[in-house]
Amino acid sequence: MPDEPPVLTAVSSSARQLFTLLRCIAFASKAHVQLSHEGLKFSVDEASVMEASAFLDKSLFTTYSFHAPPVPPPSADSDDEEATPPLTFHISLAALLETLQIFGLTDPDASRPPWARDNPYPTSTAFSNNVLGMNNLCRITYDAPGAPLSVILTEASIRTSCDLTTYQPEYTDEIPFDRQSLAFKTIMRGSWLHDAILELSSTSPEKLTMYARMVRGKPLFALSSTGTLGSARVEFNNQPPKSTLRPTAAKPDEANTPPVNLLETFQLSDPDTVLRASYKYSLIQKAARAMSVATKVSVRVDMQGVLSMQFMIEVEAAAGGGSSQVSFVDFRFVPLVDDEDEGGDEGETLMQNGEGDDSHDAF
Amino acid sequence: MVVLNFTLTPEAASKVHDLLVCLGKFSETVAIEARRERFTFTALNSSKSAYCAVTLDGKQFFRQYECIPDAGGTDGRFSCSMYTRALLSVFKGRLYDPLGRDGAVERCEVSLQDQDNEAYCRFIIKMVCNQGVTKTYKLTYEAVDVMHALFDRSVAQNRWSMHSGATREYIEYFGTKTELLDIFTGEDGRCVFKSYTEKISDGKEILKHPLVTAVAVNTSDFEYFNVQAGLHIVISVKDFKAIVLHADTLKTSLKAYYSQPTRPLQFSYGCDGLVAEFTLMTSGDYTGAPPTPTPAPQQHTATPQQSRQASHSPSAASERTDMRSMRSEMPPPVQPASRRDQNGRLRNPGSRQPSSAPSQSQTVPPQAEPEDEESLFVPHNDTRMQEEEDAAWAPMDYDKEETLGWDASADHDAAVFPTFRDSGSMSRTTTTDSNMVIEPTQRLSEITGLW
Repeated sequence: MPDEPPVLTAVSSSARQLFTLLRCIAFASKAHVQLSHEGLKFSVDEASVMEASAFLDKSLFTTYSFHAPPVPPPSADSDDEEATPPLTFHISLAALLETLQIFGLTDPDASRPPWARDNPYPTSTAFSNNVLGMNNLCRITYDAPGAPLSVILTEASIRTSCDLTTYQPEYTDEIPFDRQSLAFKTIMRGSWLHDAILELSSTSPEKLTMYARMVRGKPLFALSSTGTLGSARVEFNNQPPKSTLRPTAAKPDEANTPPVNLLETFQLSDPDTVLRASYKYSLIQKAARAMSVATKVSVRVDMQGVLSMQFMIEVEAAAGGGSSQVSFVDFRFVPLVDDEDEGGDEGETLMQNGEGDDSHDAF
Repeated sequence: MVVLNFTLTPEAASKVHDLLVCLGKFSETVAIEARRERFTFTALNSSKSAYCAVTLDGKQFFRQYECIPDAGGTDGRFSCSMYTRALLSVFKGRLYDPLGRDGAVERCEVSLQDQDNEAYCRFIIKMVCNQGVTKTYKLTYEAVDVMHALFDRSVAQNRWSMHSGATREYIEYFGTKTELLDIFTGEDGRCVFKSYTEKISDGKEILKHPLVTAVAVNTSDFEYFNVQAGLHIVISVKDFKAIVLHADTLKTSLKAYYSQPTRPLQFSYGCDGLVAEFTLMTSGDYTGAPPTPTPAPQQHTATPQQSRQASHSPSAASERTDMRSMRSEMPPPVQPASRRDQNGRLRNPGSRQPSSAPSQSQTVPPQAEPEDEESLFVPHNDTRMQEEEDAAWAPMDYDKEETLGWDASADHDAAVFPTFRDSGSMSRTTTTDSNMVIEPTQRLSEITGLW
């Protein structure tokens, strides 16, 4: 047993990257961790109606070595399909996040000046700790199944080690999402989606409804909600209005490149109908943090109405330069079932052709 | 069917945000009144002591404005009320982004959905942003009739005007727990803004009275100043702060119009098609030192105050007086000559004081008001006698009730001063007794038949 190499040894030069990614899914206290050759996957779920996962690819780490433990022959654990079953356990996500923050340097937003925060594009490394000359190492070790997950953070001459207890995994079924039969797909900037969710929160809604359709050949994507004070709706369309008021204080390069479409990709399985799907607003709001740090988000709805949001997050470059890494955080939501007289709200009539036939609501 | 629609530029939309923030400090609902050529936001606070109206000119403030009310001809109007919170969630701060970054609003289109074929009536606000994003809000509203406060500027002879930036600096000095603001014009060319509160905080606080702050401004610093000297007028500090902060967002001059304490006061300012008018109730109930002896430095400020302050009765007495005079304002038929307020002036018999105004002022301008010859009292024209009389009214002694008066009401705290009750026909005797000695005209022995 002592001769066995540890199951996982991973060294990262920036606890901050890990922290940023894990914070996106930090709405639950316990996370399901899955170790494999490709990297670490952290997943959380909420009452089986929503689940989120963050995948830390091995390229995020400067060193990553994974040795699958020997599979005990007839064991109840290994009911997985692959030859090397991925190792899974439960861990307290809150404790892990606290650990990663232990030096207080992991939130990049705090260390950047106000005008450089929340920038979707990778910021210059002038502000990162590496250039400032601080040694920052984060080493994650998992010795054997059942051992605690050991996180050792080193900064200059200070070394902190934390052992986080690992628990038996609780298996829950994944929310089924059929990638092959999509009803709708679009890719847009994460900040727009974040902004829209914030706008809709002003009505304190219970439910958020998503609409997608083609209008005269142009895509239209809208989010709407209804609350006690009225209703709100944010529409995205690809026709950039001519800026009549003022010319944008253009950055020099923008003048030459064509304007980027708001909705970069837009696919509707059935272009003639309006796609309408409703979700619980409070669940969607839990993805707000991921929306705010993501560069791009891919929004997909399958034939059953399950919503999948995949956020592409660019974290800063690892130590010693190199390009910034891209990581993915996934969210899945189970849709709300439409009531008969749901009729969406008055928002229907705004779909530019006034197709709102059912304008009666439960009021 | 009402037609109402208009378009705002982002700068105008952020001005709407500022004015909504200001109106939100007065009331949680704001009323909207739309006429053919202008649009007004009004708010009335819960105690009905402050009325705010911000009027936006149809041609100047809006990029496009159209309103066709369904009734009333040329003076027709459409009015409704909404929650300020709802409007504020739509008109957020930082709407006006001069850099035109992503998410900046290009224009704001507002319209009213009030047609018969629609299931709902909604106030629709559409923010068109750059990059193809459109945000639409549909807010519920309640149709109401808007109440307006009347203010007659021709009566308000006291006026001043000051740049809002300067007043903004002064309000920084007012204590946070103070409630009232006394604007006092001295005779020495200074105007004093004094914030204080009458309430004595009980409990564990060290200072029983919150800090009293007085800011003295030379009248020459005002853009225009024409106020009767010696006049104290008291308004609410919170209202004043809200007004000044909003005026400062426009960087314009703040004008004040008032006549005398307990009559309404109006602040007005505006620019670029926006005119704001705030009508506030005032009192002149200026209290000096509190009843318990507190160290003088805490109360008196460095600025020269009128010496009246020393002569004022302690606040407890004045509070009782206030309550009485307030009660006596109520409609019962006016007693002709016996009704005099404590300042010795004959109060205007029919005057309807605003019901929320606390009291008749104790302060009297040093110039003598013309006295009414009808009064049976010896006219008191000079200040010294006035002070004496005031002092005479201020006995704090509950033990020896020197009163002979008879008070029909059951209010025991009016015991000391029955004078102001309508039923106080005995009062005259008491008064004259305390002021001058009248010799009996008959000796007791000469009276027969009485007993």
